Amino acid sequence: MIVLGRRIQMEQRMAVPKSAVVIVPVVSVIAALVVGGVFLALTGHPPVRTYLDLLDNGYTSFYGITDTLGLATPLICTGLAAAFAFRMNLYSIGQEGQMYLGMIGGAWAGIVLADSLPPLIAVPSVLLFGALAGAAWIAVPAFLRARLGTSEIVSTLLLNYVALNLVNYFIFGSQGFFRDPTTSFPQGRAVADSARLSPLSFFTEKSTNTYPTFFVAVLLAVMLFWFMRVSNYGYETAVYADSPNTARYAGMSSAWLQSSVLLVSGALAGVGGAMYVVGPAGKVDPGLLQVGLGYAGIVVAALARYNFLAVVLAAVLFAGLRTGGNALQVSNDPVPIAIAVVLQGAVLLFALGGELFRRNKVTLVRVQKATT
Amino acid sequence: MVTSASMQHDEKGALALAARGVTKRFPGVVANDQVNFDLARGEVHTLLGENGAGKSTLASVLCGLYRPEAGQVVRDGKEIRLNSPRDGLAHGIAMVHQHFRLVDRFTVAENVVLGHKSLSFVLATAEIEAKVAAITEEFGLPLDPRAVVGELSAGERQRVEIVKALYQGAEILLLDEPTALLAPPEVEKLFSTVRAMTHVGKSVVFVSHKLGEVVDISDRITVMRGGRVTGSVRRGEADVRRLAELMVGREINIVPRRAKSQVGDVLLSASQVHLERDGAAMLTDINLEVRGGEIVGVAGVAGNGQRDLAEVIAGLRTPQQGNVTVCGTPTAGHGARGARRAGLAYVPEDRLGTGLAPSMSIRDNLLLTRERNFLVDRKSALHEAETFIKQLEIKTPGPLTPTRKLSGGNAQKVLLARELFAVSGARVLVVCSPTRGLDVGAVETVHALLDEARDAGKAI
Repeated sequence: MIVLGRRIQMEQRMAVPKSAVVIVPVVSVIAALVVGGVFLALTGHPPVRTYLDLLDNGYTSFYGITDTLGLATPLICTGLAAAFAFRMNLYSIGQEGQMYLGMIGGAWAGIVLADSLPPLIAVPSVLLFGALAGAAWIAVPAFLRARLGTSEIVSTLLLNYVALNLVNYFIFGSQGFFRDPTTSFPQGRAVADSARLSPLSFFTEKSTNTYPTFFVAVLLAVMLFWFMRVSNYGYETAVYADSPNTARYAGMSSAWLQSSVLLVSGALAGVGGAMYVVGPAGKVDPGLLQVGLGYAGIVVAALARYNFLAVVLAAVLFAGLRTGGNALQVSNDPVPIAIAVVLQGAVLLFALGGELFRRNKVTLVRVQKATT
Repeated sequence: MVTSASMQHDEKGALALAARGVTKRFPGVVANDQVNFDLARGEVHTLLGENGAGKSTLASVLCGLYRPEAGQVVRDGKEIRLNSPRDGLAHGIAMVHQHFRLVDRFTVAENVVLGHKSLSFVLATAEIEAKVAAITEEFGLPLDPRAVVGELSAGERQRVEIVKALYQGAEILLLDEPTALLAPPEVEKLFSTVRAMTHVGKSVVFVSHKLGEVVDISDRITVMRGGRVTGSVRRGEADVRRLAELMVGREINIVPRRAKSQVGDVLLSASQVHLERDGAAMLTDINLEVRGGEIVGVAGVAGNGQRDLAEVIAGLRTPQQGNVTVCGTPTAGHGARGARRAGLAYVPEDRLGTGLAPSMSIRDNLLLTRERNFLVDRKSALHEAETFIKQLEIKTPGPLTPTRKLSGGNAQKVLLARELFAVSGARVLVVCSPTRGLDVGAVETVHALLDEARDAGKAI
């Protein structure tokens, strides 16, 4: 028998071992760091020190972690939005646009309603209107999907561009309602003070970029996790996701399930945009357009494997890479932001690639010449 | 009775293919335990056994799809190592799977050459079609090489698979449950093809759990149970009862009981039901009455409207005309939930994928047709699942096992248990092909369950 070489052989695992659930993601992240390290070394930056800087600026220093949590706040919402829809095999990628609309809707409520209300009511109403606006933005794709079977991927994606231009129009293209009337500088009209929250200080004298909305986002994740586990609604969506035929057999309405899931998804992304209003922005702020937190939500949902609790962790991990990467840009030995983006991409690729190892048993086998 | 071990290369032809001590494990089960099997040239050798007996596993080992942990595959007297079905093909071994592996949008000819190594960049379509036509001619496989596979019937698709195997030069064909999807006349056609193939010296392994048909076609029958070979008989020695006992490992009662039961009031009635689907009349003026304590059968070749009738009664389809009454409540147009509330239970033909949610646990599947409140009561469903598993001897690691991991018979038990003994207490049952694809032992259980429900005064 002649050994010709080795070949990778894959077999589907019948049961996923418990250890793989932990080991695979950890190894994925390490592998991503190694790949990123190669890029760092190639561009003349010492990988280990750069990573330590990144860790410090993204997670372990006081300002690092508070910046990260602040950035993670809307990201948790868009991540939940994506996870909520993807679990039902509805691939809405409109979180970006719904988030902008959430910002617009929230700002509207903050300008119009909040003045006469105490903060305890004003802030929730801003979030509520953000949710409504986000849901409204997905209403047409949801209706098309549920009634006519139109692909939600295309319709939600295209509406992102409409939303983007809508924000630009409100701030740069017109002297409308959302534009600050007190200055000729193009910026948004500020919402009432009662509709804003002050940043958390975490028992220090320092001012941070984390807002109490972070805890609202975490609470949303926990509530969704619990609700979808114990409720009939969670049960029906799980049946539908597993087998639409079975759902039909049991008398569930696919139109209701599909449209309601999409609407809730839109509302979650909208809340994320409204949190931006309540927290750092205080107005319709085109600055949000630069960050891409809606699309990042899809990545976060994928990393979390659509688990609502894991979305929180994935969002913090992802936001940390972003804030840490930003900080490296302005350090003594500036590392281009592109490297941080490479790292994010590598984390995602390896995390998704790791799925293969979780689901399959991969072995190296000798390829032998078959003797006939 | 002759055991497999003592079977030698007999007079019918030289030994073409053999398995020697093949062992294949899957997590939690030994699918094949030291299995010996051999196949002579020009022979039809049937592997018979219940679902989960290890027949398909053995066939998959023989064609190179699975690699066994121990044992050898011997072809023409030499040991061969098969790392993939492609290696199998190189040795002239091809398998036709129970679930076809064809591209719906391709034509017959395109599917036949799919995956063939020696394809030129531009397909020599005319040449391929001519070759395909020659094969269909020789082996009596009527097919139009230019037909699009998506438009073919199950029987025709199977012929495409067989033609594909022959086109690739297969000398040994492994047919996995080839008759499962076929109507009786198509089975006859398949059998004549099998005979034509053995006539020219090709060998066929016929994997089946249907006793009746294998006796006709086989030169030899090897029975498997629980991953082991339990016996082997030659043509002419085959006795249906004896084979059945080898399959299930105990005495069985093949003839269903026809107990006299008290017939009660009309519980289900359908009158002048007329259903059109996509402009075609599926049901025309159907009248049906079923009384309590009575089982009424609706028979016919598949595709003649039995399924539509069942779906109308179950409330899944709304008829254009006519009425359906369940326990005195009109249900037509009230949806599946309306029909259930009136006291109807429905066991659809497609177990996994319609009757059950395949990735969900037994426990969660029991919740499917219950009335559910805002919060789901998983605790009582868990208790119910445990009771069913015990009472009906459902073979499973536990109530949280996904139903797709159950064998066909055990999945059907879960489904029947839910519909028969549902807490809601349905009094009318609609059951579609409840024994399709099940082995003898499971068929017996299904019949017993239905008899029991009938005796309890339900209308079926």
